Amino acid sequence: MTRAPKVLTEFFWLEHLHRIEAYLDRGGYQALKKALTEMKPGEVQEEVKKAGLRGRGGAGFPAGVKWGFIPKGADRPKYLCINADEGEPGTFKDKYILSHDPHLLIEGIVLAAYAVGIHCAYVYIRGEYEMIARRLEQALAEAYAKGFLGRDILGSGFDLELVVHRGAGAYICGEETSLLESLEGKRGNPRLKPPFPALVGLFQCPTVINNVETLADVPFIVRMGAAWFLEQGLPKDGGTRLFGVSGAVAKPGLYELPAGTSLREIIYAHAGGMKDGRKLKAVIPGGMSSPILRADEIDVAMDVDSIAAVGSMLGSAGIIVIDEGTPILHVLRKVAKFYAHESCGQCTPCRLGTSWIHKIVERMAAGGGTREDVDTLVRLAGNIKGRTLCPLGDAAAMPVEAIARKFRTELEASLEGGAVRP
Amino acid sequence: MIRLMIDGRPVEVAEGTTVLKAAEKAGIDLPRFCFHPAFVPEGSCRLCLVQIEGSPKLELGCSTVVREGMKVATQSPVVRDARRGVLEFLLAEHPLDCPICDKAGECKLQDYAAEYGLTEGVFREAKEKREKRLPIGEKLLLDRERCIQCTRCVRFLSEITKTHELGLFERGIRAEIGIYEGRPVRNGYSGNLVDLCPVGAITDMDFRFKTRPWFLDRGESVCPHCSRGCNIYVDCHPGFPRVPGSAKVYRIRPRVNEAVNGPWICDYGRTTFVAAQNGGRSDRPFWNKSGAKIEIGWDKARTVLGERLKALREGGRTGRASVAASGWLTDEELYLVKKIFCDGLKMSRLFLVDPKPGEGDPMLLRPDRAPNRRGAAELGFDLATPSLEALTRDTEVLILFGPHLASHFSGEELRAAFDKVALKILVTSHLTGLESLVDGVLASATPAEKEGSFTNADGRVQRFGAAARPCPDVRPELRILQDLAREIGLGSGLFHPGVSARAVFEALVQEIPFFGAGA
Repeated sequence: MTRAPKVLTEFFWLEHLHRIEAYLDRGGYQALKKALTEMKPGEVQEEVKKAGLRGRGGAGFPAGVKWGFIPKGADRPKYLCINADEGEPGTFKDKYILSHDPHLLIEGIVLAAYAVGIHCAYVYIRGEYEMIARRLEQALAEAYAKGFLGRDILGSGFDLELVVHRGAGAYICGEETSLLESLEGKRGNPRLKPPFPALVGLFQCPTVINNVETLADVPFIVRMGAAWFLEQGLPKDGGTRLFGVSGAVAKPGLYELPAGTSLREIIYAHAGGMKDGRKLKAVIPGGMSSPILRADEIDVAMDVDSIAAVGSMLGSAGIIVIDEGTPILHVLRKVAKFYAHESCGQCTPCRLGTSWIHKIVERMAAGGGTREDVDTLVRLAGNIKGRTLCPLGDAAAMPVEAIARKFRTELEASLEGGAVRP
Repeated sequence: MIRLMIDGRPVEVAEGTTVLKAAEKAGIDLPRFCFHPAFVPEGSCRLCLVQIEGSPKLELGCSTVVREGMKVATQSPVVRDARRGVLEFLLAEHPLDCPICDKAGECKLQDYAAEYGLTEGVFREAKEKREKRLPIGEKLLLDRERCIQCTRCVRFLSEITKTHELGLFERGIRAEIGIYEGRPVRNGYSGNLVDLCPVGAITDMDFRFKTRPWFLDRGESVCPHCSRGCNIYVDCHPGFPRVPGSAKVYRIRPRVNEAVNGPWICDYGRTTFVAAQNGGRSDRPFWNKSGAKIEIGWDKARTVLGERLKALREGGRTGRASVAASGWLTDEELYLVKKIFCDGLKMSRLFLVDPKPGEGDPMLLRPDRAPNRRGAAELGFDLATPSLEALTRDTEVLILFGPHLASHFSGEELRAAFDKVALKILVTSHLTGLESLVDGVLASATPAEKEGSFTNADGRVQRFGAAARPCPDVRPELRILQDLAREIGLGSGLFHPGVSARAVFEALVQEIPFFGAGA
């Protein structure tokens, strides 16, 4: 079993960690002091690049490289948006950071803004996270009061305004361009890319959009250095990962482990193995949109590249463990219902494809399925995948395709047994 | 310039051009629902996806900008499969009520389905039930089942009229187009939504269920209802062989001309044109004899008028005749008016009478309610409406082109003034009441029924041909003028029988080069 080096969650056990006094006691805002007094913005950016910090939101894009896309110069304002619209089913890592250690995020935000030369940042937080949003706002007020936010931060001459914006409950607003639309007060529909947000983002200005966990890693990189951060993970995928394990395990919860820890180890060593001695059937490794893995496919390292090599994705690292007692049709039904409900409806394949898939799956679950349905599901998923305006189409199609392909026998067998009762 | 290959054809286009536009230049038409050249690309219908060498996914034709050396495939199996997929999704939820759909025959969904969508129907689920006839404007109905959510209508109202009456509500399969409560589409350009809609989701209450598009002949003309001169298509039913007068104009639609109207026309022109074309027409020449309407042949009518004019000329009294021409006449007709009455008969009392100006708007509609006042001005007509006194003082013969005098003076005033005039002739396409105050009425064609040119307010000379079938017994003013000229013995090649508007126009250009410069 890998010894878990705690980075992000090291002090999560502390009571009142969300208050600024507790955060300062354990060395909080030291990275910010260091950066503002000893480092130039470019140096911070360079350090993050060297640290191999890959985006924790799902796509895994190197954060330092992303920052580098922002044009230099100050002809227009630049914005930083923090994506805290954590809506991917099976994912709850950002929620922990936001509620346990909001100052860690704030420190990361100020560092990122300093590195890129941004003076206005927005946290777009999931609408359902009401209590957490209040806690974040409290932390924000504390940080302003202590001079870690606002004008002339720590006497450095650097200014940053930070605003918390609550979403209204649409999954699509976690997609970065929809998030921008929503933040601008419009209907949260994705935008066509290009132009990319780095050039034309919030209010038509250059914009960085980072995930909560990504920015929470930044203070450690600045304080401990890129080399140390890289050591916590893999050569191209630095730092630890927050794995949210849910489903049929003995100890569901949030586990901080180095990138590249094997999926089997996470389930059996860290999460306590299967609940009540049940048998493992399948694992969804990176949030609901990631293609499902069979029980015999879990000897895979949980890092962006390794998991992609077996045809799934690390995504948001939300691991959903499914036991033999759960009919796969039930899983399929959850998946189909969710994406049909959350498709924004802007582009044809996603709007009509997710709904059609949902209708078929509901019919199958009601006992009206036919053998052709499984083929139809695979074909319809193919009609969606890679052909939609934003990644939601892929997110909807991939799990359906994977379930239909990998569990065809069970799906077909279940058709004979009549309605499936979850 | 950027050079690229589309389906193996080399194309050279300016930097910044999209693949869709470049393909058009190469003669390749990419299918599209949401794309419209007047709007910012939306990229939502996913029908214009193309394959670009080196790109892992299919790319949008409508928004992808060309790069040097790009190799694009628009008909590869993957591309065709993507189109088939989109159409399969659309048809699955479509009501397929084509037999009673006004758009059938000119529906892009039908066209593309025929071209790419041939697929086995595997949709066994229940289709969504939605509102089939939702009034969204004075003359607009929305059928939400037919809607494919290209949002052209929403974007027209946000990007072009900027009135924002329509919006998209709800999301996913529940997403629907709608108005905000109590605020229907009302902006003077709402008819364009019907043309913009690629399917039969937005229909025009005037056109709805009246005819089938494939029965209509499409003629090209210029809208005469203001001095903008919007280019239009006139959709005319040719009528049935054994039913006299069954030819009918059902609608007009914008004909793209970026220099004049772009792809739009106004609601005023749309409704007024159809109403004027089909109603209140004067369909044959007649005479008012002691309160009774007596039909009179064209020959007789011409002789009566001709004899009277000849008598005036022989007596040296042509000063006792006056003519009210109109900005509703074509350049060619106004030119003949001048040739006959000024040059031939040496008359000096030529006036111009047009309808009173109405309201204009900042987009297309201009206040003038006549199409050719600029042409009349270039031909030397005084644009000011004359007083009744000026028109009828010491007058034996009065010739009126068009019924517009009645919009400036009351019946009482007209009656009093007309009493002193021995012969009053009205050449008109419409009966509006003025016909009862004159002696003879000659039935003329509407602009849609004739050939000629109008010069719009910007000085643009626009030639057009006959777009609609005329009533059987009406004649264009050009012919009426030519016949009259011969009757009174005026010698000019322009008055020979059958001399076309084109020939008259060429003579006009010879004399006044202005008309050649703009044509």
